[in-house]
Amino acid sequence: MCCNSALTIPPPDPCFSFLPTRPDVISFPVSVSFRVRHVFPHGPSKSIPDDTAQLSGSDPACFYDLLGIPETGTLLEIKQAYKQLARKYHPDVSPPDRVEEYTKKFIRVQEAYKTLSDPRRRALYDRDMAKGIHLAFSARRLFEFDELCTQQMEDKSEWKSRWQSQLSHLKKRSMYKDSGDNMSWGAKMRRQRNESS
Amino acid sequence: MAEQAYTVASDSETTGEERSSSTVPEIAIGIDIGTSQCSVAVWSGSQVELLRNTRNQKLMKSYVTFKDEVPAGGVSNQLAHEYEMLSGAAIFNMKRLIGRVDTDPVVHASKSLPFLVQTLDIGVRPFIAALVKNMWRSTTPEEVLAIFLVELRVMAEMQLKRPIRNVVLTIPVSFSRFQLTRIERACAMAGLHVLRLMPEPTAVALLYAQQQQQNVHENMGSGSEKIALIFNMGAGFCDTAITATAGGVSQIRSLAGSTLGGEDILQNTMRHLIPNMDSYFSRHGINEIEKMGLLRVATQDAIHKLSTQPSVEIDVDLGNGRKIYKVLNRKEFEEVNQNVFEKCASLINQCLSDAKIEVADVNDVILVGGCSNIPMIRNMVTGICKKDVYSGMNPLEAAVRGAALEGAVASGVNDPFGSLDLLTIQTTPLSIGIRADGNNLVPVIPKNTTMPARKDVFFTTVHDNQAEALIIVYEGDEEAVEKNHLLGYFKIMGIPPASKGVPEINVCMDIDASNSLRVFAGVIMPGEQNPSAPFMEIRMPTVDDGHGWCAEALNRTYGSTLDLVTVQKKVQH
Repeated sequence: MCCNSALTIPPPDPCFSFLPTRPDVISFPVSVSFRVRHVFPHGPSKSIPDDTAQLSGSDPACFYDLLGIPETGTLLEIKQAYKQLARKYHPDVSPPDRVEEYTKKFIRVQEAYKTLSDPRRRALYDRDMAKGIHLAFSARRLFEFDELCTQQMEDKSEWKSRWQSQLSHLKKRSMYKDSGDNMSWGAKMRRQRNESS
Repeated sequence: MAEQAYTVASDSETTGEERSSSTVPEIAIGIDIGTSQCSVAVWSGSQVELLRNTRNQKLMKSYVTFKDEVPAGGVSNQLAHEYEMLSGAAIFNMKRLIGRVDTDPVVHASKSLPFLVQTLDIGVRPFIAALVKNMWRSTTPEEVLAIFLVELRVMAEMQLKRPIRNVVLTIPVSFSRFQLTRIERACAMAGLHVLRLMPEPTAVALLYAQQQQQNVHENMGSGSEKIALIFNMGAGFCDTAITATAGGVSQIRSLAGSTLGGEDILQNTMRHLIPNMDSYFSRHGINEIEKMGLLRVATQDAIHKLSTQPSVEIDVDLGNGRKIYKVLNRKEFEEVNQNVFEKCASLINQCLSDAKIEVADVNDVILVGGCSNIPMIRNMVTGICKKDVYSGMNPLEAAVRGAALEGAVASGVNDPFGSLDLLTIQTTPLSIGIRADGNNLVPVIPKNTTMPARKDVFFTTVHDNQAEALIIVYEGDEEAVEKNHLLGYFKIMGIPPASKGVPEINVCMDIDASNSLRVFAGVIMPGEQNPSAPFMEIRMPTVDDGHGWCAEALNRTYGSTLDLVTVQKKVQH
């Protein structure tokens, strides 16, 4: 099992303890999405906003579509679009009978804004998009990982150099994992889909 | 937040429903309960107006005196002299005491106040009492606050000639969610319904957003995004915020707060005058209380004077041949309080770095609160920001005006001139997470996350065949878990037998539109689609008074046996 092989990877230094997700998330966005969807299967659907179900299904909007801006949009356009959408979807201003629905939407808009307003995250997101990974929320864990790293590294320049070393580290790791696995990315994806359908 | 859980089921609950069905929305009033002073404001239909008490005061002292059978607060009561407030019969600084346990340093610092603050240092609520007819009569910060709020409510009802129920209150950034429930409790006791609890600097940010919007309407402003740094320091707390404002939308980028305030400056200075102050006054007899009052008033007076003059003469007779005579100059005063000023500076720097904003990008520096008059504070803030202070606000009224604006906006009032076309996008002032990786706090919702929010993190077991996992939820940003605020705890049961690190324990936290926090948790085995046992949903905080004791007992009893460890998600096949 691949999860066991993942466990045998020597523990990374504390600062990188969130590392192992990263290659997984990049290569298996669907699995993350499904997982999140199945987190509360027994819960009353009314009280638990289940945003991912909509996302992976009928509404596969990317962050740019969500904000209603072109992929070439400037930071200013992103900010303006965000504030405009916040005025519409923020629970403080949304119609009282649609608060729950709009809150979900606001959280997604917020996620999109947070990613696209940060040049580094935007670059990563654009790269994933180019690879054909379109699911907006599947990349979620990636951003959480980013945040944790950002918190741990105060100094920006230090952050950058660490980030680069991490990236190469990650590449090595994912290569190692793939070889240990003897499965192509596509094969994994197919298996994933079979299992979750 | 957590209305259902903490609002006292009183008769006012039903009348509120009836009233809300009437045609005209009731405009919520804004209340700024300061540690030392308090004010009330309301949207009058075209602008914000501060309400005045019968003595024509806009700013009223926050205290309740228990001298007679009927307690009287600073709204209605007229003090013969300031010493009367320091006679032991009056309780003040309740904002600093509310929702704190007796191991809290802030509670310990309050022991030098004239009324009685007793601690057993075991993590329970402190014993607080007022001197009534030569006897210590017990009370609680919630009770004192409620009595005070009733006076404010009566005052507002008389002036506005309508019943008041809905309020927007300002609160310090550093308040935990547990403390917020105590504020809500006090409001419920006073028959008030909390519409919003706004961190003080965010209320100021809203006022700023409105001013910018007005400038745009009057073609004075450009309408582009403006970044403001807000520094708010009163008697009890010091808060900072960075806000990005455009088109009436105030987006809070970061918040930072601490329990530092004018009270610390006052006590530092008093200790400078009498180094053995604590032992000198520790007996808390009537004589000591009187002397302490004398010293307090003299020191306070000296600090105020030092804001405008380079040195001040302090002359106090403490009796029994003990006299204090000293000429205190500004430099000495600043040295004595250097730790306070340094901490303030670090809060600003932290706020800037959390918001990822460079000093050069800050358009306006807003300095509010009672301590904004202290030259060293002004110099420190302008020194960091390399900018003069924004002059468009009254430093003592900014927070309450912002609260009144929020009250009008949240009550659904429309203004034909667009003055209420405002929105504040709030962020979490503190991280919320669980105890994991040994004795650490692992955030699930990091601080400065935009609200409403929903985030989850996967955890796993630390022992082979671990069947249960204890989830202890904390709020705060200290790495060592016990230094944060305990919000609640519960167990995840029925984890299927597996090697450690294999089960996936999902902890999801949700802050909804009304700032109510829910925690969802459950376990899913790798490769499975459904959870091994029903998921749990817990509304937090679930702790009550004595949570400090409770946290300690938890750690001692369970310690390492049920710890969680964060292991990142593995490949799912």
